[in-house]
Amino acid sequence: MSDEYAIQVMNLTKYYGKLLAVDHIDLEVNPGEVFGFLGPNGAGKTTTVKMLNTLLEPTGGKAYIFGYDVSRQPYQAKRQFGVVPEESNVYTEISTWDNMIFTARLYRIPGSEQKRRIDELLELMELQGKKNDKVFTLSKGMRQRLSLAMALIHRPSVLFLDEPILGLDVHSSRIINNQIRQLNTEGTTIFLTTHQIEMADELCHRVAIINHGQIAAVETPERLKAAVEGKRSVEITMGNGGYTKECAGLAGLSGVKQAVRNGDKVRLFTSDPPTVLRGVMGYIQERNLPVVAINTTGPSLEDVFVDITGRPIGAPRRKFASEQCKGCPVREDCESEKEATDSGQAPKKHGGGFLKGSCER
Amino acid sequence: MNHEAVLTRIEKESFLSRIGDEIAQAWAIAIKDVQAYYLSPTTILWALLMPLAMWSCFVVRQGMSGEAGVSRLLAIITFFSTSSVGPVIILLERRMHTYDRLLVAPMSLWTVIIGKSLVGFMFGLVVCVFPLLIGMIFFGVTIASPVLLIVALLLSSAVFSALGTLFASGSAQMPCQVLIPTMLLRWPLMFVSGVFIPLDGMASWMRTLSYFSPLTYAQDLLNHAIVGSVIPTAGTVWLEGVQFCKLVGISQMGGIQDPFLDFSVLVVLLFLFIVPSLMLHQRSRRLGY
Repeated sequence: MSDEYAIQVMNLTKYYGKLLAVDHIDLEVNPGEVFGFLGPNGAGKTTTVKMLNTLLEPTGGKAYIFGYDVSRQPYQAKRQFGVVPEESNVYTEISTWDNMIFTARLYRIPGSEQKRRIDELLELMELQGKKNDKVFTLSKGMRQRLSLAMALIHRPSVLFLDEPILGLDVHSSRIINNQIRQLNTEGTTIFLTTHQIEMADELCHRVAIINHGQIAAVETPERLKAAVEGKRSVEITMGNGGYTKECAGLAGLSGVKQAVRNGDKVRLFTSDPPTVLRGVMGYIQERNLPVVAINTTGPSLEDVFVDITGRPIGAPRRKFASEQCKGCPVREDCESEKEATDSGQAPKKHGGGFLKGSCER
Repeated sequence: MNHEAVLTRIEKESFLSRIGDEIAQAWAIAIKDVQAYYLSPTTILWALLMPLAMWSCFVVRQGMSGEAGVSRLLAIITFFSTSSVGPVIILLERRMHTYDRLLVAPMSLWTVIIGKSLVGFMFGLVVCVFPLLIGMIFFGVTIASPVLLIVALLLSSAVFSALGTLFASGSAQMPCQVLIPTMLLRWPLMFVSGVFIPLDGMASWMRTLSYFSPLTYAQDLLNHAIVGSVIPTAGTVWLEGVQFCKLVGISQMGGIQDPFLDFSVLVVLLFLFIVPSLMLHQRSRRLGY
């Protein structure tokens, strides 16, 4: 245990009956870091965060918030953090002001400081004009801003954010994003759980990807992207007329590993963009295709996510395709599993390294 | 950030100041619940009209004296008002995830449970004032021992409010999952507790059952406090009860049981209801509901 880390998790485990939801994970979050916590549905994100928030008791292992054990020293640990859950859990039957006053009392903000602090936070969240309104009259975005204000009332050192801008209007999203950046500038450690890859890519210093209850990767977004071979791409935006059957030939160019069409864009995945680019230019000129723009792009964090977990973020878990693959922890969309299903032989072992997701036959 | 300031404050906090904080936090929870849930007209009307309706039917039918009627009315009102609204609120807050807000705040589980029970306790006391005033003003009811009445009301409200919190501490997620079992429990308790049928008029098997009902002791203590007109039968030896009555200033006992027994059992029940609530909350943390 060390208080040099804002959050430290050691061998953290959670069983729900026989179901292993969180499988002996280790994690360190440095003070002042924006730490992204990504994972598909059912991966164990919420369970992990609930254990860190003291809402759930771990089955095994330890978790520390600035050196305080969340199980043995919950009072001290709770003083360190604030929580903004996915669904803003504010009291809709009372006013904005009453919600803030109640939170100030819960966190023992001195009476002389309460009004000043509440006014300061409501102004930051642009809720001053709504302070006497019952919360049930506020929009979803306003309620989430209120939830953030309530989480900040005691100036926490660590802030847990679970999908902070999901489903919010642009104005509220912008306010919350700006506040996250500002808080981090002031030194607050942010633990961000989100399905919005762009947000994680933009804000996070490091990202952890959890899959099947295990940490699959912990790295900076850039290093994660750099490690994913074959996910660089050449993106072609088509003009008037859009994608035609003549464009289908682009997928067969030398160096192209995969071609994905998305509306008026075609994305050609490759590990050798210059070669593909030369081929694309020649192909376009030969057929006089109406191309508006050509970009070369690196792998996105979403590409990394799909590569590691085998499914897009937010996708539901799929059932096993084969009885023989039931023992494999990497089951969803596994090519080897499909081959095993066809051949009738089970995979022998699983791929190593932090890019888990492959197995051998 | 003032992480160092937070750490310094935590290290400097004494045990007494921590206790003071927890009391203030429990009070804050109670006040918030009053603002959010208890001040609605529906809640107040329900708490007043339902027991009044039951009592008036019963008193008219039985031809009971004002004092005896008021003591039973206060028992019913305390029982229903303190143990009905609280569990529903806890389950509603669980569904809305606002209950999580209390669980992640820096306070002990005791404080959460006491805070939630405190509001039911206060509600029961406030609701009791109206029938008591009506009885005194319009029916000429006199109180044999005001001191004992205050003690009885405080203790009964606390016990039944804790009972309500216990109902909601289990794994139920919907209000109806608590309301139905509690209604199935409350109605039989009322019939075996001396509220509708006086204890000394019960069949022996019912009288045996009455010892297991918390409402029996609350109702009997209220009878001692308000009625105070029945002289104990010869041969009844209640040494503690006699001393207890002298302590609270009554010379004649209106209840059937030893008032010291009523008082003691209610105090024990208060802890018997709160401690399992704590254990069930801890269980929910382990199991994740």
